[in-house]
Amino acid sequence: MRIVVEDLSKRFGATQALRTVSLEIAPGKVHSLVGENGAGKSTLGKIIAGVYLPDSGKLLVDGQEVTFQSPFDSLKKSISLIAQEISLVPKRTVVENVYLGIEDATFSWVNRRSLRERFTQLCEASGIFVPGDKLVAELKISEQQKVEILRALARETKCIIMDEPTARLSAEESSKLLEVIRGLTKQGHSIVYVSHFLNEVLEISDQITIMRDGQVVRTSTPDEETHTTLVEAMTGKTFGSSFPSKNITEAEADSILEVKNLCSRNKFADISLKLKAGEILVLTGLVGSGRSEVVRAIFGADKVDSGEILLDGKKLTVKGPNEAIKAGIILLSESRRDQGIIALRSVRENISIPYLSKVSRLGVINRRKESDFSRTYTTEAGVKAASNEVKISSLSGGNQQKALFARALAGNPKLLIADEPTRGVDVASKRAIYDLLASHSGKGMGILVVSSELDEVVGIAHRVLVMSAGKIVKELIGSEISESSVLAASFEGMDTLNGN
Amino acid sequence: MVIEKMNSRILNRDFIRKFAIIWVTALVFVGLSATTHNFLTVTNLRNILDQQAFILIVAAFTTLVLISGGFDVSLGAIYVMGPIVAMRVEHATHSTGLMLLAASAVGLICGVFNGLVVAFGKINSFIATLASSFIFFGLGYVFSGQGILTISNFSERKLVTHRIFGITSATWMAVLAIAIVWILLDRTKYGRYVFAIGGNIEAARLAGIRVRQIQIITFALAGFGASFAGTLAAIRATSVQASDDLSVIFAVVAAIIVGGTSIAGGAGSIWRTVIGVFFIAFIVNGFNLNGIDPVFQRVIEGVVILLAVGADAFGGSPSD
Repeated sequence: MRIVVEDLSKRFGATQALRTVSLEIAPGKVHSLVGENGAGKSTLGKIIAGVYLPDSGKLLVDGQEVTFQSPFDSLKKSISLIAQEISLVPKRTVVENVYLGIEDATFSWVNRRSLRERFTQLCEASGIFVPGDKLVAELKISEQQKVEILRALARETKCIIMDEPTARLSAEESSKLLEVIRGLTKQGHSIVYVSHFLNEVLEISDQITIMRDGQVVRTSTPDEETHTTLVEAMTGKTFGSSFPSKNITEAEADSILEVKNLCSRNKFADISLKLKAGEILVLTGLVGSGRSEVVRAIFGADKVDSGEILLDGKKLTVKGPNEAIKAGIILLSESRRDQGIIALRSVRENISIPYLSKVSRLGVINRRKESDFSRTYTTEAGVKAASNEVKISSLSGGNQQKALFARALAGNPKLLIADEPTRGVDVASKRAIYDLLASHSGKGMGILVVSSELDEVVGIAHRVLVMSAGKIVKELIGSEISESSVLAASFEGMDTLNGN
Repeated sequence: MVIEKMNSRILNRDFIRKFAIIWVTALVFVGLSATTHNFLTVTNLRNILDQQAFILIVAAFTTLVLISGGFDVSLGAIYVMGPIVAMRVEHATHSTGLMLLAASAVGLICGVFNGLVVAFGKINSFIATLASSFIFFGLGYVFSGQGILTISNFSERKLVTHRIFGITSATWMAVLAIAIVWILLDRTKYGRYVFAIGGNIEAARLAGIRVRQIQIITFALAGFGASFAGTLAAIRATSVQASDDLSVIFAVVAAIIVGGTSIAGGAGSIWRTVIGVFFIAFIVNGFNLNGIDPVFQRVIEGVVILLAVGADAFGGSPSD
């Protein structure tokens, strides 16, 4: 199936999301859309999938002009969208989810056996295998993604639009998904691949369309592009390097954090680590290795079974995040939307919320003091917003994250823990966040980062701890840190543990 | 130019939508004034105010619960049980002060109980308070001895019926309750935390808010409001008896939701609650003045609530 987009435009209120965009998606190819947040790539994907109706322009499927009023219409033309968020019914089985709405039924009596057979055939034909009887909620996110793909295939889809499919996958899971995608194209399916991960895009694509401000900058092939040329085209700027230079840590510096034999059943065991003032320590490993669980425990968000945490050499017993914050530890959590922002409230309120005591008397908030307080830190963190009074959810992902950094910095913590600090953040904001981390570590703040992105790990860490199956399996210092050494340690850890 | 024009049009639409309930209520008010004899009279409007005083007190504090993302069915039971205990205290001590103190204490205790169950039991607040309403209704029967309790001194009625500037003292107390909740929501740390936990409870906890403490305080305040308002209503009626009557809490929640406070939590305000209460009060009053059969009143009231809430649901804003 060949899809041709001609001069599509789409406006949302005052925002021109797409301006006369044209491109061609060839059958059996992977066509990637890249661009910063708000560049219009998701909107374009959604128009092709019938979620939005364009204001002007044409959409041609195999030479025939089509108008999609809804995703249902596009599905009839064998086009389907796999959205960024998983949209499955968690408490139902894989088979039920795959055939939801298209069950084999006699007078609405579902024929389970024939569904089961169709499912087995579908798995074999596509080469994508998922246990059909398991509940979706029991599957890993990467498996759930496969279910989404099977669901699309079950509807005899010829073109699948994938919006950030690897955003929540580990490096290992991502590479498996890319294999699945290759298999699909061999069978003649075309894939529209929307992603922030440029290395993946360069690896998987046949065609890359770069977008900026709702327009196509250019369409090219991966041989003609590099990571740098893509970034420059996406941002319209030239960047020297993606990372700031690393500060030199003093060997004599005091330990800010010391963790001794921390254990939590079924999560992690025997975790010991030290973090010096002015050091950026990165905790990495495959998703599910227990990294987030360890930092949440240090922050007091989850209980531990045994072990000691020392802050500035003093034993710490925190019963919850509120006490950790008082002691000088701040956590930027992994999921910005679920655990970070309070979406309905303003930027000002989101920043001041942990520190309202500082700007209030007898429980009553001094609005002016609060505004000044919040503004000081949004300025420091470089948050770009129309004003601090707009809802935080109206900001771009990168600016929301910077606002959460502003909140963290406002607490002037001794120890800042950042769990996946640049997830879903555009390239320019990433650099700004790395700069913030570097400058505060330079001022003596202890910084503990959890990251899955190898280039980030290598780019910012003074020291790396690799976790696997709830244990620290490797420490890498200074020049030992490279993408291959980190990756090797992640997988070695798995193998030794499996061997045992 | 074009973009500016678009902008102002969008702002206008948002403006209209945001305050829709005000326009609709004003429309109902103007409509009734024009069509219904006896609607726009001092006596009638005063009556509406006085009748709504007790509902307003309950609704003001219940707004806090809804914004915090909770729900409290048991307020209907506390509204009945509170005055029973208070009346018992009045019989034993002949003191109006102690009666009101008892009403407040009972409300706070019931509310703290709800709060503890929700915060520590991790039970959905609708279910938890549905269960506790059985307990409170049952205790109401126990404390009342299954009879009608009457105030011993009828001059106590003055506490709620005394007029200041032509408006009853009960209404002034409602004004005070609204003012308190307004200050709490708009000016205090506590209010911020209520919005925060209603908006995103996990984010609030990780931001260092003591979520359980806020939940307990919120349920306690709501319990206090219901018990106190129930006692004022009983004093005005001069008597109280045990019942399983849940109607108060559903009338209150209907008014809050019609006003536009989200049942999902995290958004809402006290003025919305006040408008919602009067929107429904005007309609009911209009029915009565026009002599509409009460049986149909119910049906129409239900349809109107659906329309009001439905109007709110329309107009999802597009997102990129």
